Amino acid sequence: MSAPAIQLEHLGKRYGRVTALRDLSLEIAPGEVFGFLGLNGAGKTTTIRILLDLVRPTAGRAAVFGMDCQRRGLAVRARLGYLPGEPGFYGDTTGEATLELLGALSGGAIDRRWRRALLDRLELAAADLRRPLREYSTGMKRKLGIVQAFQADPELLVLDEPTEGLDPLMQEAFYGLLADVRARGRTVFMSSHVLPEVERVCDRIGLVRGGELVLVSTVRDIRRLAGRRVRVSFADAVSPPARWPDGWEVIQVNPRDWDLRVHGALGEVAAMLATLPLADLEVQTPHLEEILKAHYVDKAPA
Amino acid sequence: MRALVLARHSFRRSAPIVIGMAVVLAGFQFMLTQVAVFLMRNQAFGLLSSLIPPYIRSMAGPAMVAFMSFTGVVALGYFHPIVLASLVGLAIAAGTEPAAEVETRFADLTLARPMARRDVITRSVIVLLVTIAALLAVMTAATSIGLACCTPAAAQRPRFALIASLALTLGAIVWCWGGVALAVAAGARRRATAAGLTAVTTLAAYLVDYLGRIWDPARLASRLSPFHYFEPMTLISGGPLDTSNLAVLCGIAIAGTAVAYVRFARRDL
Repeated sequence: MSAPAIQLEHLGKRYGRVTALRDLSLEIAPGEVFGFLGLNGAGKTTTIRILLDLVRPTAGRAAVFGMDCQRRGLAVRARLGYLPGEPGFYGDTTGEATLELLGALSGGAIDRRWRRALLDRLELAAADLRRPLREYSTGMKRKLGIVQAFQADPELLVLDEPTEGLDPLMQEAFYGLLADVRARGRTVFMSSHVLPEVERVCDRIGLVRGGELVLVSTVRDIRRLAGRRVRVSFADAVSPPARWPDGWEVIQVNPRDWDLRVHGALGEVAAMLATLPLADLEVQTPHLEEILKAHYVDKAPA
Repeated sequence: MRALVLARHSFRRSAPIVIGMAVVLAGFQFMLTQVAVFLMRNQAFGLLSSLIPPYIRSMAGPAMVAFMSFTGVVALGYFHPIVLASLVGLAIAAGTEPAAEVETRFADLTLARPMARRDVITRSVIVLLVTIAALLAVMTAATSIGLACCTPAAAQRPRFALIASLALTLGAIVWCWGGVALAVAAGARRRATAAGLTAVTTLAAYLVDYLGRIWDPARLASRLSPFHYFEPMTLISGGPLDTSNLAVLCGIAIAGTAVAYVRFARRDL
């Protein structure tokens, strides 16, 4: 069996009196796209920096493809690409020189056709690359950041807020790129604030709050746990049942309208409504955003 | 290998400043040879010497007389405070590059790759040594050209060995402060903090040495200053190159570099 792409075991990090991470354990399988969520200061970037050995943990360990991130940092970093939240490019250097430099530091030879394909996909023209980075907009810098992370075609991509500053068209291009690398078996570990984005591209998510991992789940399971909103309108007034089935949560009930949250399959709902004078039915699948907001601020339902 | 890649990048970025400095310093060295010729033709060395009050002459010792000579004027560029300050400033700038890369987060991009942290420090050592060597070579070349092309045969031209010794001594004091800057920068998050701290230390050390030279009670304390081991006037007076002084300065530079390797390897970025 292959080693997990990322394995965090009881990871902890303290900065003096401040605890940035506390007992964080997590395993991510090769080929998975994992969304790492949390508010600012929750510990996302610290976790990422430990994976890159930019920061040393004060407890626990982090491993990538079975290799300890601190003891075998060089071997780990030879297999990953990193997009920082704020790429520290030098304004007096051109885009081309930056990519060349970072490519030369990446170890293996860079496939120029792959790099060209990335640049084309993100609409970074050759003329743009010849300009100093001080002339780049935020979005262009972000695109260059994405190219430098992907250009060595690494097995693991660690992306910190990857679409921050990208316009909607470029966000689409990025999602397409992500779908491609996922299809080629690459693993992606991305932090993001943009929940619809996470919902769209991630297989699983982990939510970190106050340095602790408070939720790890597939997107599908989270939705299932949250339940679906069912709004029913009746042609005539009906009496609600004396006892609601298990997994049904009443939000509001009037003689002609019911507003319910149903956890689990909807077969039982359909069976019940078939006996009633149904006028209209609306089923809403909850957005990740609605579900996770509660977790963000420690008000998650037990 | 990766240190060399990074060094090439640093050289590219610093080239305009280093080239500009090389032009200015070379021009200054060349002009000093012409000033020496001018003073010699006007027989002004004796006159200049007589203008100096006796108590200053006695305080400065024979070095003052040596300075008021053709050789002394030609050599001025190798210990003039402004030249010294600019070269030490450049060494501090080169030595604090690791802190600048942490501050701008450029280090996140480079060290997220299979590059060891020691490569960052090795890069700075390469940049520091090559830059100092290149500038001193240009200065020495300018002095030699000035002496070779435009000096009358009657002039008491300094030997090349003296110019080379002066350049070596200057290089040692500059490298010394570069090493200190590297040690400070390896633990700093901001370049301004590292450069400022090193610059203030340099100034304090310079003043401590100066006090020690003019005031007996401060002489012992001046031994703590690296500038105490920078003795260009002894060379101009005809003394030999003091290798123990060079060893102290190079020792400080090497110790600073060693501290930088350890600090940078252990820190959080």
